[in-house]
Order: sequence, then structure tokens, then C-alpha cells
Amino acid sequence: MAESPEPLPKLSRNAHALHCIRCLSGLPSSQTEMDSSRLALVFYCLGSLDLLGVLESKSTDADRESWKEWIWQQHASGKYGAGFRPSPFMTGAGSQSAEYSEYDTPHLIMTYTALLSLSILRDDFARLHRQGLLTFLRSCQREDGSFCSYPNSTESDLRSVYCAFAISSMLDDWSGIDVPRALSFISKCRTYEGGYGQEPYAEAQGGTTYCALAAIHLALSAPHSTSLSLSGLTQAQRRQTIRWLVHNQESLGGFRGRTEKDPDACYCFWCGASLQILDVKGLVDTGPLASFLAKCQFKFGGIAKAPGEHSDPFHTYLSLAALGIYLPEDPEESWKFEALDPSLNARLETAQWAREKIPSRSLGH
Amino acid sequence: MALQTDTPPLLYAEDPEWADVVPVPQYENVNPLAPIFYTAEYKDATDYFRAVVKAGEMSPRVLALTEKIIKMNPAHYTAWQYRYKTLLATGASFEDELRLMDVFCIKFLKTYQVWHHRRLLVTHLVPAPPSSPLHLVQLQEELDFIARCLNVDTKNYHTWSYRQWLLAYFNADALWRGETKWVERMLAEDVRNNSAWHHRFFVVFGSGVRADEEDREGVVRREVAYTKQKLSLAPNNASAWNYLRGVLDHNRVPYSSLTSFVQPYTVPRAEDAEAEDVLDLEDPLPSKGAELPCVGAIEFLADVYEQEGSGEGVRKATELWKSLANEYDTIRKKYWEYRIREALAGQTS
Repeated sequence: MAESPEPLPKLSRNAHALHCIRCLSGLPSSQTEMDSSRLALVFYCLGSLDLLGVLESKSTDADRESWKEWIWQQHASGKYGAGFRPSPFMTGAGSQSAEYSEYDTPHLIMTYTALLSLSILRDDFARLHRQGLLTFLRSCQREDGSFCSYPNSTESDLRSVYCAFAISSMLDDWSGIDVPRALSFISKCRTYEGGYGQEPYAEAQGGTTYCALAAIHLALSAPHSTSLSLSGLTQAQRRQTIRWLVHNQESLGGFRGRTEKDPDACYCFWCGASLQILDVKGLVDTGPLASFLAKCQFKFGGIAKAPGEHSDPFHTYLSLAALGIYLPEDPEESWKFEALDPSLNARLETAQWAREKIPSRSLGH
Repeated sequence: MALQTDTPPLLYAEDPEWADVVPVPQYENVNPLAPIFYTAEYKDATDYFRAVVKAGEMSPRVLALTEKIIKMNPAHYTAWQYRYKTLLATGASFEDELRLMDVFCIKFLKTYQVWHHRRLLVTHLVPAPPSSPLHLVQLQEELDFIARCLNVDTKNYHTWSYRQWLLAYFNADALWRGETKWVERMLAEDVRNNSAWHHRFFVVFGSGVRADEEDREGVVRREVAYTKQKLSLAPNNASAWNYLRGVLDHNRVPYSSLTSFVQPYTVPRAEDAEAEDVLDLEDPLPSKGAELPCVGAIEFLADVYEQEGSGEGVRKATELWKSLANEYDTIRKKYWEYRIREALAGQTS
């Protein structure tokens, strides 16, 4: 009943695209913390341009070629297998040997973002070391089924589990991971609220709930799922999870990541995509969601986590991705987006490219 | 963010103590993507860090170097990783490292690595399960430290997960003993702190049954009474409703056992509420200032009716869902309508 009295302002598409282009061209020293996750930032920038449909108009062929080149330079092989490093932050000049060193290994989350970034750039993946990638996944899985983000690390959580599943799904080859064991780890992260925490015993949180649900969905839609007799959520669990997710939309339209916290633009994607994965995207009130994201737009471009905050590529991308699922009704031109693949987290056409070009069968085996 | 360091900004390139090391600049091709314009200090320190890693040097000066890098970039996971290896290799004091981390944890509260490093240190210092009174003292100090961090940031996810990990990993009765009381204090300060409610569930139900809590029915009664009390003070608190549902679900207690408690919360305050102000300890009434009716209560009562399974139950539930959809919780209109459809479909099938 309470119609929003204010009409939806325009989505400043061009300003958001420019924000991402600016970040791709360079980051101030205040962003030094991104040193060990630059590839993820690159993915959020390229992904935003992809969702906005301006990748080709905002860059030249030569730009995109050099971007691909930079991403491939992070691709490395060695004793733990092959994958992508976050950036050359540990790569010394003149030490460009074929094998990475012990402290310059690939990183699981970065490998996932690299595969998507290269798909956005329509790379042919001729250089991808597929067998090495499977070995790398094996080196990252731990005894309890979880994954660490790089070999020999003891830090593991649901984010890395999701990335391992997404990579296997893109490869269309699940032989790199012990799926039942990983699923059992995921189920240990479920809490009484119906969401999933980052690790066993931790509080339910929107981002890690997305990781859990997307991973389960990817594993169950793979051909192996019947032979392994994998099972997803029970009916009661599914009902409880849907309830928790929809209750995270607060009255002004934004989603929060945890019960009774303030809304944050990124959870519009994490919770929203989770609901789509559970086949109930119709339950979200899209008008107020768009109004909330409109208010998160930063005056100099990009989208922030909340109104009045500074923008960044992470919140910009996830807000646009949320709109790829939840268009407001009768959207004005600036709010129109193409559909999104919720479990890989990429524009549908980009996800299709990944699924076509990344599997080893695409090499004609 | 460039943070203040305690040492003067002497570059390693100018430091005679490091004259024996040839710095290794970062490789970067001609067209880097999203290059970071490092400060001279960060670039200098990481040039020397790449050099010591390449040479495999693990020495006290490497501890100083990694500390400096971490202060400038606490997310530099390789600096953390190499620092830990160097601590082991040099036989450095882990107690001293832990005290340094007391400062770092508060400064870099939102960084994954700082908490992970702490886990490694504590795991190294104390065997699981702890085998001496001294270990218990150390772990108790950890719990105290976490409590201080939570005073700074009461909902910090890393801090709470660290506490949960610590309790579950060392699993000593002496540590669990004070936990319910402690979390009660956290909830007394902010009854909407979901992290504290979650922690309470973890302590009471999620982590096994301890010797003094074997009377499970008694524990459930205690928890239900506690939550009712908290709801009476602040009925519109989704964290408390979720906790209540969690307790009932986990122990397979039917929601209908709470019908008489919930009912007064589902209706607007009666005009003559003052007159019939009877103190009912079993089913406390909503406090005077509470906003009624309460969405969480209406939702709960609708679930009670739906679980009755009869046509009459579904009819009564539908009435409540309609009131949520059209009046009290309109943002979730589509969800409440979905609940109506699902319930009706359940009837006919």
C-alpha cells in the first residue's frame, strides 16, 4: 500500500562506468590494501562495464588485449598446480620463470575472478592449464572438506568453497574436488536462523549464505549429482532459508547481511541472488530495492554500501548485479539490465561463454 | 591507508643494516591493470621483502620488516605467512607476539589476517585440550581480550568467530562456564545484537551438552523464559524472535506451546491496558512503550495456526498473513501472499 512518493531518480550509468574505468587505470596509495586482491577488483570493474553494456564503447580493442595480457601474466604453474595470482605483488622483476615460488602461488578466489574476467573479455582460454587447475583445487582442499585460498594455508571458509565449486562448474570437471566432503562442510556452517556462517559455529551472514546456496546449486546441477546421490536442502530447511532471506530486506528496500543490522548495497545481491537460486525471486519487492540502490549512488560515480558513503568497485558491481536480477517494474531506460546467471555471478551471455570455452572438451578432446 | 608508524621514515634502501640485501622490485608489465600508486615507503619495504623471501632469510630483522609492511597493508597475507614462519624459525617469543597482536587486532579489527594469525599463535602456545592450569589462564586472557575488542566493535564478525573457534577448539569446561553470563551482559547492553544472540545459541545448543546442563528440558524452559523476558521489553526485535524459533525447532517443541504468550503481542494495545496490569512471570506482557501489534508475534501466531493443519487453522493463519501483507509488513507483501498460497496448496494436496 505505501506507494513510494518519490519517483525513482536516474541510474547514473555513465558515471558508474567512468568510476570503474578510473580504477582500472590506477588506484591511489590509500588502496594499498587491494595489493593482494587486485584481480578481484579488476573483476568488479570489468563486470560492471559488462553489466552496463559499455565494455566495448568505453575501451579500445588494444585496451582489452592488454588487459587480457595482464590477467594471463598472473596465470602460473608450479608444484601445487596452476591458477591465477592476485597481482604481481610478490613477483620480482626479472624472476619471470615458468614456475612460481613458494610465496607467490596462485590464489583460489582470484582464480575464480580471473576466469570470469577473461570470459567478460571473450578470451579463447587457449592458454589455460586445465589439468594444472584441477591439481590446484586438490591442493587447496582440506581434511574437513573446506578449501583454503592458497596451498598450505590454514585459513579456510565458505568463500573459497564456493570458488572451488564455481571453477569446477566452469571446467565442467569435478574431479579436482571431493564434493560430498565439501557439502558436509557447508552443512556444518548452517545456523538456527536458516542462513550460513563463514565457518562452522559462526553467525548467519548474507555473503556466505550466497556462497553456500550457489555451491550446492552448482554441485546438484552437475551430471555427477545422481551417481553421488547428493542432496540439497530439505523442504523445511528451504522454507527456513527463504524466510531468513526475505526478512533481511528492511522496510526502506535495502537488504542487510545479518539480522538487525543496517542494510548494505552488496547484500541486495548476496540475499537477492540466493532467493533466485531458491527459485523464489518473485518474493522481492523490487521498487524499494531500486530506490535504496539509487540512494547509494555516489555523486562522483560508483555505488556505495549505503547512502552517504564513498563508492567502490565491489559495491558498484554487486548493486548492478542485483539489478540484473531485480529490475524495478516498468523501468525507465537507465534502469534496464540484461539477465544475470545468479550462481556464477555474471551476465548470462558471459556465463555461457565461460561454460563453452573453459571446459577441456572445448579443446576438441 | 598509510598508517603512522613508530619508527622514523627511514627507507631500507638507505639503511646500512640492510646494505647487504639487493632489493627486488615488483614485476609489472607495460600496461598494468589497476596499478596501485604505492607510497615510497611501501614500495621500498616490499622491494626488500621480496628480496628476503627469495633468499629465504628468516631473522629478527625480517620480523621488523614484516611488521612494518603489515602496518601499511594488513591484508598482505604473504607478509603474515612469512612472519609466522620466521617466528618459528627464530624461536621468537610467541607471548610477545600475542601482546603485539593485542594492538594490531584493535587497529585492524576488520582484517581477516590479523585474526587468523592470532589463531596460529594461540594454537602454538596452548595444546587442545589444555593440559595445565597455566593454559587455562592463557585462554581466559584470550576471552578477556576478545571481550575488550567487542566493546570497541560490538558486532565485529571476525572477533565473534574467533571467540566461537577458541571455545570449540580448546573445549575446556572452565572456559565454557562463564560464557552464558558473559553473553547475557552483552545482550543487556544491546538486546538487538544478533551476534550475541547467535553466540548464546552456540553456547547453549550448538556446541554439545556440558555436565551442568544435562537437564535439557530445564535448559529449554530457561531459554524460552529468558527470551520471553527480552521480547516483553522490546517486542520488535527480529534477533529474539529468531532465537526463540531456533530454540523450539532445535528441541522439537511445538510453537503452540507459546500461544498464550504471543497473543497479547499480536493485537493493538487495549485502551484499558493500565487497569489490568497483572504481573505474569510465565507470560510477561509487552512493556508499556512497546509498539504493537508486533510483526514477529503475528508471524509466529500464524505459524502456530498453520501447524494445526486444519482448514480452520489455515483460515486463521491467512487472516494474519493478510494483515502483514496489507498493513503491518508491506515490504514483504509478496512473501506473505506466497505463504497464503503455499498453505492453501498444502490443504488441497
